[in-house]
Amino acid sequence: MIYLDNAATTPMDPEVIQAIEESMRLDFANSGAVYRLGLDAKKRIESASEEIAEALGVPATHRLVFTSGGTESNNLFIKGLCFPDKKAAYMGLEHPSVVETLKYFENFSNEPLCLLEAQKEGRLDLPRAIPLLKTNRARLLCLSHVNNELGTVHDPVNLIAAVRSGSPQTRIFLDGVQAVGKLVLSPDIWPGLSGYSISGHKINGPKGIGLLVYDSRVDLKPQMHGGKQQFGVRSGTLPVPLILGLAKAIQLAVERVQETQLHLKKLRCHLIDGLQALSERVPHLNIRFNSLAGDDVSRQSPSIVNFSFLPVEGEVLLHHLEEKNIYVGLGSACSAHSKEPSKILTGIGRTKAEARCSLRISFGRQNTIEEVDRFLGEFGDAYEHLYPTFRMKRTAEK
Amino acid sequence: MNEARTLLIRYDEIGLKGRNRKFFENCLLDNIKKALQGLEGLRFRVPRGRIVIDTTAELAEECSKCLAFVPGIASFSIGYPVNPDFEEMAALGIQRLETRMEAGKGFKFCVRTQRNNKLFPKTSPEINFEVGSRIMAALSDKGLTVSLNEAEVVIEIEMGQKETVLFDHRIPGIRGLPVGCSGEVLSLLSGGIDSPVASFYMMRRGCRVHFIFFDNQPFLGRGGHDKVLKLGKILNRYQSRGRIYVVPFQDIQVAIRGHCSPENRVVLYRRMMYRIGEAMAEKIKCLGLVTGESLGQVASQTLENLAAVSSVVTTSVFRPLIGLDKQYIIAEAKKIATYPISIEQHPDCCSVFMPSRPATRSKKKKLERDESSFPWKDLMQEAMDKTEVVKLDSQVAE
Repeated sequence: MIYLDNAATTPMDPEVIQAIEESMRLDFANSGAVYRLGLDAKKRIESASEEIAEALGVPATHRLVFTSGGTESNNLFIKGLCFPDKKAAYMGLEHPSVVETLKYFENFSNEPLCLLEAQKEGRLDLPRAIPLLKTNRARLLCLSHVNNELGTVHDPVNLIAAVRSGSPQTRIFLDGVQAVGKLVLSPDIWPGLSGYSISGHKINGPKGIGLLVYDSRVDLKPQMHGGKQQFGVRSGTLPVPLILGLAKAIQLAVERVQETQLHLKKLRCHLIDGLQALSERVPHLNIRFNSLAGDDVSRQSPSIVNFSFLPVEGEVLLHHLEEKNIYVGLGSACSAHSKEPSKILTGIGRTKAEARCSLRISFGRQNTIEEVDRFLGEFGDAYEHLYPTFRMKRTAEK
Repeated sequence: MNEARTLLIRYDEIGLKGRNRKFFENCLLDNIKKALQGLEGLRFRVPRGRIVIDTTAELAEECSKCLAFVPGIASFSIGYPVNPDFEEMAALGIQRLETRMEAGKGFKFCVRTQRNNKLFPKTSPEINFEVGSRIMAALSDKGLTVSLNEAEVVIEIEMGQKETVLFDHRIPGIRGLPVGCSGEVLSLLSGGIDSPVASFYMMRRGCRVHFIFFDNQPFLGRGGHDKVLKLGKILNRYQSRGRIYVVPFQDIQVAIRGHCSPENRVVLYRRMMYRIGEAMAEKIKCLGLVTGESLGQVASQTLENLAAVSSVVTTSVFRPLIGLDKQYIIAEAKKIATYPISIEQHPDCCSVFMPSRPATRSKKKKLERDESSFPWKDLMQEAMDKTEVVKLDSQVAE
């Protein structure tokens, strides 16, 4: 099997599995209990938190709150800070857990500020965007650190500096789900970030656990009420084994980030070169990259390549590759029931047809150059096989 | 609570049969035994006009759940064996009525007796009076009243030659004829709302229904296939021993897409489905095809297109939904529990195969001309050879 959909989820690292397994056997106690067993569980959570904070360089001004995953972290921070009437801004190319959360505010007569007109190559064009934040008095700006479909990067250092000088009343929240383990997080970014979300399963950790790092000076309203665990911000008995698994995954991701980045860059470069070569070899194949083709990690994640290939539909290609035991990702869907094509691709100006005829390849540490070659071969064959069926004009779509 | 219970199972249509009535009764008895397979300690009897099962209170509840799925049963009751003694019958009646009484709220009741034991010294109306008056004496001050025509609860007494049974409710069955008594048919199952309902209707008319599904995994993935299997399992609860024939259909669709007039595609696909269906039906000795077509519902279901499709087969084509409207069909699908599966989002046809303007009145000559442009007989044979069979009894319904 060749798995090239690591932006969707990743296989668990054996060390993480071991950490979880041990903890599941040993740490069953409720960390809120006052007897020794409970206190031991609490201690384990505290040291896991410390390990995470140290690995990510999170300063004492910021708190760590464990959640069920990236979606909850995004909901908790955005709603906790802005619901119901504070103005929040976003670019319009974020993950649905950001976009839909903000759209929910519309039900309370609080329309979020969409900055799609100020995007360039899938990133915010700061000179155009910052004045909009200021004039609309946005209290919060929500962005993806790494875009989940394109892999384009918002460099936190530039972003923070620009917002601080141009719209100082605006706080910054980054969805970091696709960034951790692929990009080096500088400890200097934290003072400028009010919130940052992380998900366990995107970094070879377990599903069902995520993290919200937030500035303790922010008055975050809880979205779940109960036993007032985790500073009262997120109630619920803490899942000790998952927390230990997440801590292990973050530690490993950060420890290996340089080496991972180098490896992913090689894979990405090989894939892009290969696709370009394929374009020349396979008749009628015309690849258009939706991600940036360069290898500057301050602009583009080394993990993701998104590209279009009219007129063959991405989902059909996906299923043809599936038959060869190769698994790739998709931002859009082919269906007679007309699922809308990816809003992210149409958001950066691609046509609906281009958005439908696209794939997202996302690499993980386990992938190899040989796997990329296998993919390229099978992709070319599938395209050639499918082209005659798709070549006719799709007038209905135009 | 392992007291004795007597399950009384009634059938209506079989009761109208003449000399072949025994055949239908045996068929129903076999189906009931099959439905109750795995429940130990049941004793079956067939007095005239009934099927009776002697069992325990606990098993009676289990049986009751299974009997609701057996076509041919008009209704059934969980009865309490009792001595033909007025005091005893009244005491049991009082006990049953008391379980239904809410504090301070009375209801109307009556007693109805069917006396087959003509040696018993009282007539049915006399028994009704004797038992009813004893019950009234005990419960009238709690609000119980008698009404022969508007009773909310009927205490029924069946007095046979050897035994007397009392019961207080009739659970409706799904009526119709026992599965198997009419023969076997092959139903075109698509994954939508209609075809499961059509299949169920044929089961209720005594058919064992096998299914044929036209699969296109290379274009649509395995989602549709899994969905149809789930539908098959749910439908098979009404009959057992059903099978699904999974026909790989992609090559035929690709050929029609590539060689034929776009507006005729859908009718051409269906003509191929009918042809394969007929050939398969003949092979497995099914006496006709079943479809979920309903007149005018979609472009392929106009009178002209239905005729164009039917004209390629000589076998009977049953369309039990032909005159029903969509809302009615949806309500039926909800009753038989296929609806929630049918509306799961899986494409049943890739958009590349759908024409933008399908013909609503296709012409036979044009269809035949289209069909002469690709080797449909070879493709049909190939699809038949690659057909896979799934036995539904070995799959547990979710």
